[in-house]
Amino acid sequence: MSEYDAIVVGAGAGGGVAAAVLTAAGKSVLLLERGRALSFAAVGRDHLRNQRMPVYGHNAGPDIDGNPRTIDASSLPRLVGEALGDKRLLKPHQPGYQNNAACVGSGTRVYAGQAWRFMPQDFRMASEYGVPAGSSLADWPLSYEDLAPYYEKVEWEIGICGDHRGMTHLPAYKKPYPMPALPLPYKSTVHKSGLQRLGWQALRVPRLINSQPYNGRQACINCQHCVGFACPADAKNGSHNTTVPRALSSGNCTLLTEVMVEKLAVSAGGAVTGVTFIDAEQKRRTIRADVIVLSCGAVETARLLLNSATAQEPAGIGNGGDQVGRNLQGHYYPSAVGLFPETMFDGMGPGCSIATCQFNHGNDGIIGGGFLGDEDIVTPITLWKRFYPPDAPRWGSAAKRFMRENYRRINDVTGPVQEIPSPDARVSINPQVRDRYGIPVAHLSGATHPETVRTARFMHQRAREWLRASGAIQVWGMPPPRYLSGGQHQAGTCRMGEDPTTSVVDPFCRVHSQERLFIADGSPHVTNGGFNPVETIMALAWRTAETIVKTW
Amino acid sequence: MTPESAGMNKLFDQAELECLRALLDAIIPADDFPSAWEAGVGDYLQRQLAGDLAKALPDYRAWLAQLTAEARAQYGRGFAQLRLSERTGLLRRIEADEVQTQWAIAPGGFFREIVEACAEGYYSDPGNGGNRDGIAWRMVGFEVTA
Ligand SMILES: Cc1cc2nc3c(=O)[nH]c(=O)nc-3n(C[C@H](O)[C@H](O)[C@H](O)COP(=O)(O)OP(=O)(O)OC[C@H]3O[C@@H](n4cnc5c(N)ncnc54)[C@H](O)[C@@H]3O)c2cc1C
Repeated sequence: MSEYDAIVVGAGAGGGVAAAVLTAAGKSVLLLERGRALSFAAVGRDHLRNQRMPVYGHNAGPDIDGNPRTIDASSLPRLVGEALGDKRLLKPHQPGYQNNAACVGSGTRVYAGQAWRFMPQDFRMASEYGVPAGSSLADWPLSYEDLAPYYEKVEWEIGICGDHRGMTHLPAYKKPYPMPALPLPYKSTVHKSGLQRLGWQALRVPRLINSQPYNGRQACINCQHCVGFACPADAKNGSHNTTVPRALSSGNCTLLTEVMVEKLAVSAGGAVTGVTFIDAEQKRRTIRADVIVLSCGAVETARLLLNSATAQEPAGIGNGGDQVGRNLQGHYYPSAVGLFPETMFDGMGPGCSIATCQFNHGNDGIIGGGFLGDEDIVTPITLWKRFYPPDAPRWGSAAKRFMRENYRRINDVTGPVQEIPSPDARVSINPQVRDRYGIPVAHLSGATHPETVRTARFMHQRAREWLRASGAIQVWGMPPPRYLSGGQHQAGTCRMGEDPTTSVVDPFCRVHSQERLFIADGSPHVTNGGFNPVETIMALAWRTAETIVKTW
Repeated sequence: MTPESAGMNKLFDQAELECLRALLDAIIPADDFPSAWEAGVGDYLQRQLAGDLAKALPDYRAWLAQLTAEARAQYGRGFAQLRLSERTGLLRRIEADEVQTQWAIAPGGFFREIVEACAEGYYSDPGNGGNRDGIAWRMVGFEVTA
């Protein structure tokens, strides 16, 4: 007997939307989240332990102890973690772990809230460019037009500010954004002039931030701690203050936090009937529901499926085609940094306000591309660690003077490069290593396709050109080498498609081998666009949840 | 010594503490803004070496002992007894691994780690123990309005 109509695993971007849409349709939902609900104070303002600069820890989970992963040493750009044979054992805050977050809201609790629609071409990359050797590049089984109505819903229901007239790289919007774009900090006006000088498109970055009071919460107060931190004005719109509270206030939703789903429960015939989870007291429980929605993020959704082997699906549920966990992708960020003759910093947050989609597509001899934008406010220690010129002094009076004179004059421009998927970039299970609950952990292996690295090099040169055009007197930075990427923008591990031998879920994100098992997170993304993914994750989750309701 | 840095006695003896202070204050010296030690970087390091960097404590102690030996070999005095210009000159050579005594631990390599930890204490949030009253943020012009 089912205790709930639906169980949603994971209260992040996709899971929040799924819970909100299902409960709004009158379904009873059990929402299970391994992390905690984090207050503003609990997230804190530690500049060395946050999701943006996780030097010694982070602030939005998962807990540093008891949640390891392993990775092939060859997948790392530099050796980190502990040696474990030919593998490395990683803690959640270490580079290579591919962490996003674990709490109510997940990454959306502390994200920058950049809110991008993918472009029509992003849904048909194989048709646009052909499939490079060794890549698993493919078209999505749906088009921009299919998703556009859901993008619009996310913009209005979750709350996005922006200027739709500037989005000239997209088909015309049916409706404007519900709120105007955030005001431009001084440095963004400089970068805008740089774009105009080059004749490149200049648009206002749409963000999941209230530029005006909206949905009963106040407007952004332009603080300096946006990305990587919680909003002091509660003006940043994430799952924790939109979809999850909406689901709860419907009266149809039960949220359990600090519960880790171990595996899917199945009937004698192998049909998924529920989930087994372990609670904070290490007690194991199985709960049944008619529909199960997995929204654990691309790494953990794959891990959960692979840890759910059954007699009928011995390689893991949905893994009959050996596809679960493959094609892990995120975004390459080929940042360039510039020193400006004038003070660029005026203290007005969040900061990333101006961008160009001039190079997302149509680059001669290059597959795809990405947008380039200016940057959110960079804390002093982040500047020191990430954006300091390689030839500047690191200690002594000269270093102190350099920081003092130039902190306000250094700016970077950057953006996510669309990755070319590789089937070897992969999440599997490491049965030798267990987490604090005794569950086998995710093992990571492979690397992005070499074409990603080539596109990133191309975009790095464009970033340098932009900085020069904006007036930078010195420019530095290096395009990234080849490694395994996923991280905060992780996607792709349960790709969508018509064919069960080359995909995990169908065009409505139902697992091919199961009637009642759906995925609503970044995993079904066939490709990940040259854009931050969250608006697409939310839009797709909306469409999936609506389909579940319609076909109940 | 400030009350906070008194706790360092648990990790370092008096001579080591003086050496550490002389070292940190050569990495970030005083000008019209405070030196590393004055801004609390000693306290930052104390917390770290008792926490996240606990594994590095023996290396810190070993490196400080080498630094003292190297200063004696080159100047006939301990590191803490050197003038700032002498300390800077010596550290520049150590950074380039140009040393006269036998070091059991990479002279320049570990120096760079100490420099990094010193910058973390100085430029990160005051909650970490350094950057007392946000003084480093005032210096660079990072204002927190909310
Ligand atoms: C600092 C930062 C900045 C970011 N900025 C942006 C941005 O500006 N724009 C943008 O588009 N994106 C941004 N992101 C990324 C964005 O947050 C992610 O793309 C998005 O959250 C992914 O959604 P998802 O539904 O796939 O998974 P998630 O949102 O990660 O949700 C997965 C949830 O499932 C839980 N879970 C996993 N396994 C289990 C289990 N077995 N049992 C129970 N619970 C489980 C996790 O704890 C987590 O809460 C940012 C992220 C961070 C951290």
